[in-house]
Amino acid sequence: MASQQPLPNTQIPLDVYGGDEVSALVLDAGYCHTRAGFAGEDVPKSVLPSFYGHLKSTNSDTSTTTYRDIFGDECLNPRADFEIKNYMSRTESVVEDWDAATKIWEHMLIKRLQPDRETHPSKNGLNDPPEDGEGDVAMEDVENQEKPLAENPLLMTEAPWNAGKAREKAIEIVMENWGCPAFWLSRTPVCAAFAAGKASALVIDVGGANTTVTAVHDGMILKRSIQKAPVGGLWLSQQIRTMWENNDPKIDVIPTYMVENKTPVDAGAPAQAKLRKFPFEIAPSFRTYEEERLLTEFKESVVEVWRGPGRYANPGNEDLVKTQPGRVFEMPDGSNQMWREQRYRVSEGMWDETAALPLPDGSKVQTIPELIKAALNAVDVDLRPNLLGNVVVTGGTSLLNGFNDRLNNELATIYPGVKIKLHAAGLTTERRFGSWIGGSILASLGTFHQMWISRKEYEENGAGIVEKRCK
Amino acid sequence: MASQQGKWREEQILVICPGSHTTMAQLGCSELTPPANRIPTRMFKDEESNEYRPFRTYKRKKADATEGTNGSKDGGEDEWEWVEDRDSVEGAVYPIEGGRIVNMEAFLAFLDHVHSLLTTTYHNTPIVLMASPQWTRPDCESVARYIFEKTKTPALCLLHSAVATQYGLKWPSMTVVDIGFEKVDVTCIYDNLIVSHKDLGFPTPVREISGGEVFTQKLWALLKDKGFTYDMAEQLKKSPICEVLPYAADSDDLMELPTENIPLTAVQPAAAPVLPSGEGPKIVEPPKPAPVAEGENENEAVDDREEGVLDVANIVTSGNTREFLAKREKEKAEKAKSKKQGKGQEAEPAGAKPTRLPNSKRKHNIFHYEDLVHEDVEVPLSNGTAQAEPAVPTNSDAPASDAPAPEGTANPDEMKIESKPEVSGETNGENPAPATESTKTRTERRTKRVRKDIEVGLERFLFADRGEINRITDTIYRTIQSIDDIYKRSTCWDNIVFVGNGSRLRGLKENIIQTLSARHMISPSTATIFTSELPSNMATPTGTGSQTPTGSFTGQLPTTSSVNPLLQAATTASLGVPGSAQAPGSTSGDVGVSHHSHGQTPMSIKQAALPTYLAEWTKNGFEEAMFLGSLVAARLAFCIHNFDAAGTEAQRLMSLNRVDYNENGPKAIRTHSMMG
Repeated sequence: MASQQPLPNTQIPLDVYGGDEVSALVLDAGYCHTRAGFAGEDVPKSVLPSFYGHLKSTNSDTSTTTYRDIFGDECLNPRADFEIKNYMSRTESVVEDWDAATKIWEHMLIKRLQPDRETHPSKNGLNDPPEDGEGDVAMEDVENQEKPLAENPLLMTEAPWNAGKAREKAIEIVMENWGCPAFWLSRTPVCAAFAAGKASALVIDVGGANTTVTAVHDGMILKRSIQKAPVGGLWLSQQIRTMWENNDPKIDVIPTYMVENKTPVDAGAPAQAKLRKFPFEIAPSFRTYEEERLLTEFKESVVEVWRGPGRYANPGNEDLVKTQPGRVFEMPDGSNQMWREQRYRVSEGMWDETAALPLPDGSKVQTIPELIKAALNAVDVDLRPNLLGNVVVTGGTSLLNGFNDRLNNELATIYPGVKIKLHAAGLTTERRFGSWIGGSILASLGTFHQMWISRKEYEENGAGIVEKRCK
Repeated sequence: MASQQGKWREEQILVICPGSHTTMAQLGCSELTPPANRIPTRMFKDEESNEYRPFRTYKRKKADATEGTNGSKDGGEDEWEWVEDRDSVEGAVYPIEGGRIVNMEAFLAFLDHVHSLLTTTYHNTPIVLMASPQWTRPDCESVARYIFEKTKTPALCLLHSAVATQYGLKWPSMTVVDIGFEKVDVTCIYDNLIVSHKDLGFPTPVREISGGEVFTQKLWALLKDKGFTYDMAEQLKKSPICEVLPYAADSDDLMELPTENIPLTAVQPAAAPVLPSGEGPKIVEPPKPAPVAEGENENEAVDDREEGVLDVANIVTSGNTREFLAKREKEKAEKAKSKKQGKGQEAEPAGAKPTRLPNSKRKHNIFHYEDLVHEDVEVPLSNGTAQAEPAVPTNSDAPASDAPAPEGTANPDEMKIESKPEVSGETNGENPAPATESTKTRTERRTKRVRKDIEVGLERFLFADRGEINRITDTIYRTIQSIDDIYKRSTCWDNIVFVGNGSRLRGLKENIIQTLSARHMISPSTATIFTSELPSNMATPTGTGSQTPTGSFTGQLPTTSSVNPLLQAATTASLGVPGSAQAPGSTSGDVGVSHHSHGQTPMSIKQAALPTYLAEWTKNGFEEAMFLGSLVAARLAFCIHNFDAAGTEAQRLMSLNRVDYNENGPKAIRTHSMMG
């Protein structure tokens, strides 16, 4: 639709790729959350858990069973025959289930961020529950109409160790299914460094499933420096579970959804709560997901990192903590207890291997100082001072109270005499969405438009182009 | 560009708040009144021109042609005419579903319709358009482009609905719960910024609606086998006898259903459609066989018998013995009183009885259903002379004398309670008596208003679906708890506001708050007082009163009332969070202290106080506060002059004017709007 009034040349909007005006989209997928939004904005418009609901419905007439996936935190409520799944791989933080990934991404990028199309799925009959098959809906939709993202270049982030096959798969989906005019894959540490305004940095990303330490130099990751360990939010949750397990009295994890109402009780007293009854069975995966909400709250309001100097296990520290007031945490069922020294102890495993509570499978994880040491040892000696002067801390778990103080202390101990400077965003959202924000900055830069892999290039070279271009 | 602003008069501004069901609109924002116009948000597709029209139109045989065509089928086009049916919803296209624009073309046509309906001049009518959070960025751009290209609007202000609510209610931080027709939006605003948002009713990928419609559907499902239609259920839901009972934490159903059967006496023995009370709906747990009472005497007998029997087991198990006994006493007293009255004046009790008990205590209540029946009736035409033939075949109840003068005979306000169908004066027919001489009859569209009295039992409480209320409460809980900065949460818990006409349902807001309190409230723990000494700063309460729990605080929180207030102050303060002790009770303390607290939330849950200085709005209810806010925003964006530099700049970014549009195109709406 051309505008009705002719505009003077100077006033015609500049629709150039990569120009500030282009509606580029940015997608950042993590194990816990997936973030999507428009480039140039400072927060992602759409943040969904990477966990999604898998609903089984049995058709009584034909005795066929169909499955339906639902996305978004709002709909993850107790239901019959309802499983919670995740499309990402917990150990690797890369896409594991591509079918689900495509669907959840489409849900976010197209449903949430783009206007409804004429043949909207809710009207074209494809979405009537009985017929709603697995995965066909979106595909047919796409084929029968103009591609949904034909006007939006897309920048996607990926873990630095992402496999070539997965990268090719990503560009295929973007180009074939959605018809994007341009595409770019960027590594999360690079984006996080950009978000902090750095081209060279040591990026410490303490996320949900993994903690990664990566050296970034001039906007490129140094491959050999990449270190990763599961010491992240979920690992900490596991530590808390172990602590609750060994607590006296032992604490049963009753997630919020099970509680109908509660009565206040004294500290340490047994809970007096009325539990909700469900006329169906709750899948264990759903319960685990809900327990994680509770653990998140515990981490937010109770857990603290021993700030140092030195380790928490050093003599005297625990006695000092015991003299200080603790924090009370009330469980959803109303039982409550004071946490004092335990709240430091539970996070100490991130720094001190011997302090970590034993996991059920007996495995040990690398601590954050070890990861940093390993990462720095793998880079050129000359680069190390520069990297240590530009340490970027990002990821939701780094929001733990006292985390940065401790990290600073640890680094000062390992590298005495080197100037160490931490860059951690003050705003919670900037810390949680660090790599998305970096991607948003990158994709909105006018100069970035030479970088995009255009549709034409893809058509000429095939999916392999992504390996050649996005180093 | 600054000179562009502030040059519009308040009467010139068009304010539109589109909803999925009804759109509120008004020209002018000089008076902060409830909306002048409520327009159904629907359009009708015209098959021939493929355009959208505001009303259903259909072809109908011309009235004056009916006679001649009996034998011959010629006449062609002349015999047909297009008729607008303003009430019909047949073939309606609803451009907004659950807040999302699902049919942009129809929506734009609808905007055009609203615009032309309300404005007379083409110039100098800036528009304030409220947008749902579900509108995508390209949606907003399309709307902006359409408005600037199609109308001569000088400026457009797009306004996020939660922000609009905030402008209406003036609190800097609040949680806006917008319960709409088929969606529920929960938006947390802290310090005038949107910090968290979740919505129900979004297709994920299949749509599961939420909001007012869910309750209607549920009510309908319960009453379907009693011959209720959807319209009846909808009207019943809106009637005062339908309500959500308070959350009863102890009972199994989580509400206290009335168990005593207070018969309706013989209020309307003549009313035909009234269900005999013996056939009343099945109650979930009937304590006694429902006695059928027809007369006053029997009624008393029943009452007396019931008074004698106390279900002791039930009282004891329910736990609130004292409360029950108190209630019992009160009821006895009331009964005695009414008996006295009843004996004195036998004629009146029919009217007095139903008001004796509140609706929530009555098992049955009568619902007055009003139905509009449209029909095309053959009406004898008269030129003042009465005609003998009774030519109103379908309208047998109407007295024949009414027929000759159908225009304005029956005033709907004069209707009696009895189910006597009457003809109201509306005539929607399009033929204003052109053929008076040639024809004896003409077809007339009449709207009859039929009123029926229907007795409804416990369904009017049971429809309050726990599943739906749980969905709403869970969403509120998760939305507030997912605010990134923990210190912002308690403020949002303390200022919950319910808007949207779905929340007009009686008792719903209270029930949601009660449910949230019973389920999520964190009570001050006794742990700290026994395990640690009090922090030194608690020794002497400071003069601000910030650490002194106020009476209103303990009074409003049933769960904490048993806790010693000093203990509470001590425990919360020993968390090192003096701010959180201050937050619930008083607003006087300095807010800065509460920053970076990491206490658990919610320590208190409250609804935000609503303004009292707008009498008309108090009467109207603040469920439509977003419209009020849009009016306020309209003034701020378009009418206020003399800002300082920063204010002028802020005002410039509130709306997009034509100059900026011409310069930057529709994309400028991204920055020049109040979309949060």
